[in-house]
Amino acid sequence: MSSRSVQYTSSPLLASKTPIWRSQFIVAVIAAGFLGLVARAAYVQVIDNAFFKRQGAVRFVRTLDLPANRGRILDRHGNILASSVPVPSIWANPEDIERDPAKLKALAKLLGMSSADLDKKLQDEDKTFVWLKRQVDESVAKDIAALKIKGVYDRKEYKRIYPEGESVAHVVGFTNVENLGQEGVELTFNKALGGKAGSRRVIKDRLGRVVEDIGEMVPPVDGEDLQLSIDSKVQYFAYEKIKESVVTNKAVAGSVVVLDVKTGEVLALVNYPSYSPGKRGNLSGAQLRNRALTDTFEPGSTMKPLVVGLALEKGIVKPETLIQTAPGKLQMGTATITDAHPHGVLSVNEVIQKSSNVGTVKIALQMQPHDMWEMFTQVGLGQKPQVPFPGAVSGKVRAYKTWRPIEQATMSYGYGLSASLFQLAQAYTVFAHDGEMVPMSLVKTNQAVASGARVLSVQNATAIRNMLHMVTIQGGTAPKAQTMGYSVGGKTGTAHKVEGKGYASKKYRGFFVGIAPIDNPRIVVAVMVDEPTNGAYFGGDVAAPVFSQTVQQTLRMMGVQPDMAVKPQVVTKVEKESF
Amino acid sequence: MSRVSFLLLMAVMASALYLVRTQYESRSLTTEIDRATSLARNLETENDRLDVERRAQATPLRVEKLAREQLHMRTITPAITQYATVAGSVASAEVRP
Repeated sequence: MSSRSVQYTSSPLLASKTPIWRSQFIVAVIAAGFLGLVARAAYVQVIDNAFFKRQGAVRFVRTLDLPANRGRILDRHGNILASSVPVPSIWANPEDIERDPAKLKALAKLLGMSSADLDKKLQDEDKTFVWLKRQVDESVAKDIAALKIKGVYDRKEYKRIYPEGESVAHVVGFTNVENLGQEGVELTFNKALGGKAGSRRVIKDRLGRVVEDIGEMVPPVDGEDLQLSIDSKVQYFAYEKIKESVVTNKAVAGSVVVLDVKTGEVLALVNYPSYSPGKRGNLSGAQLRNRALTDTFEPGSTMKPLVVGLALEKGIVKPETLIQTAPGKLQMGTATITDAHPHGVLSVNEVIQKSSNVGTVKIALQMQPHDMWEMFTQVGLGQKPQVPFPGAVSGKVRAYKTWRPIEQATMSYGYGLSASLFQLAQAYTVFAHDGEMVPMSLVKTNQAVASGARVLSVQNATAIRNMLHMVTIQGGTAPKAQTMGYSVGGKTGTAHKVEGKGYASKKYRGFFVGIAPIDNPRIVVAVMVDEPTNGAYFGGDVAAPVFSQTVQQTLRMMGVQPDMAVKPQVVTKVEKESF
Repeated sequence: MSRVSFLLLMAVMASALYLVRTQYESRSLTTEIDRATSLARNLETENDRLDVERRAQATPLRVEKLAREQLHMRTITPAITQYATVAGSVASAEVRP
């Protein structure tokens, strides 16, 4: 048994005298530790505070985009021509997508693509976001959600819907998948329609709910609604009629322009062939072309009333002045100007009614080239129409100083210059609006009567309207333009198409520009049928019937009372019911 | 003196607790507002969508098709239209032969 040599109460270790510096050292170390903490706290909270605040914010503050709605496009009665609706777009995260072959096959089928294409989209596993298909139908999105594939999601995007479809396609145009206007009014008014997206900074909690707003919210500015002057019913009706005419005449294309002469508003602007703006697969250039504004042609006989109007204004002729047009030929240098049939002595009224080239040339050659050029320019020929359309052309009227006499002669009956159908319709508003040239508008103006620069006196405009009326009655070139109930007036035109450097021998363009009702005009309608190949090709045969039907429907829809006697077929006598 | 300090301390504590509670309430209200706004927006877009759909059902193309095929209607002409003029108004009926 060993004895205890050391007692607890008197440990030699404790008994030994500790040097004082050791305790001081410990205290100093602890103090230094605290100082370090204070310094760090000062650094975090005072010196570099901004950095830490920012880092904190990155972890819970989110910036939310507030998308702006694209404005709607409406017709003059407020009917929707284009509007944006949210539709689902399907996207995937290739990094964590569930690669189950059966499910992916089903997905590919729903998306309408091959499995190979789908695999290609998903092959890059470094990506975290891939669009699979944008703007799919609601039902497809539901079916895809039902497959419950991990890593496949949908997201709402705005899609443009065009309920009127083909008939207004060229006016309204369309947007691309990013909601930017590509054609028509959608393109021209893209900025106003588009609006401006806003944003908002928020704090989100663990569950993704917004719990606090930080700073000021930038509210989104929705795009403005755009109300056009187009009347969707007139537009639709004109589209149906021109389509019918193009099909029955086996033509390449056709256009109709309807203008309100009182206000200068465009009521309809139609082209066939057209397209459906919502489904734009396999679009061809022919379908996309807004022919009424982009195609120019030689206006032919439709120019004659302008020349005669100028002659009346200058006092060169009066409507009753007689002009010798026999023998139906006029020699000018090496060129010969001919009429379809020799007419003999015609009054100026009849020169227009029978569409005599010789008569018109004889009147035109008494005028200065400068005056004719000025007249053409005043009615908008050779100038871009004011309507805001992409691709609207100005046509061609050469400077009068370069005109040779033979050119002045051919121009008087519409050859050697070019214009679009819209420009022709616009030029005829001079006759319809009592000699004033009102500015055209594609946007609803809300004014009852517009006024513009005077080109002809009221009296001369009325005289020309009377001549135009004679064209459509017995003895004129376009009796087919007559309507039931409304008096009309207009001028036919038939032009050889230009091909290469000369005229194509058997390719024509038939057109008709007219006014109705003739005494108190409300509308100007211009119709053009391009390359009719089914026998008839004169403007009076292919275009005048479309004019007639369009005028009748349009005036009825505008609530204009017929100005001609119609034999009523209304059953007004009601037999008493026996009981 | 120590009594006053104690009271002040209690007041600070109470105020701090109240602040926490208020902040919590404010956050849950923000969540509510946010939910309501997004619901409003959804309803608005739904309304827009339905407007478009209604218009698509009433396009001239569809109306004419139904009128012709199902209701056997025909296009109106002035011959089958009765024009009424209100007595005393300026009659625009200047009938030509």
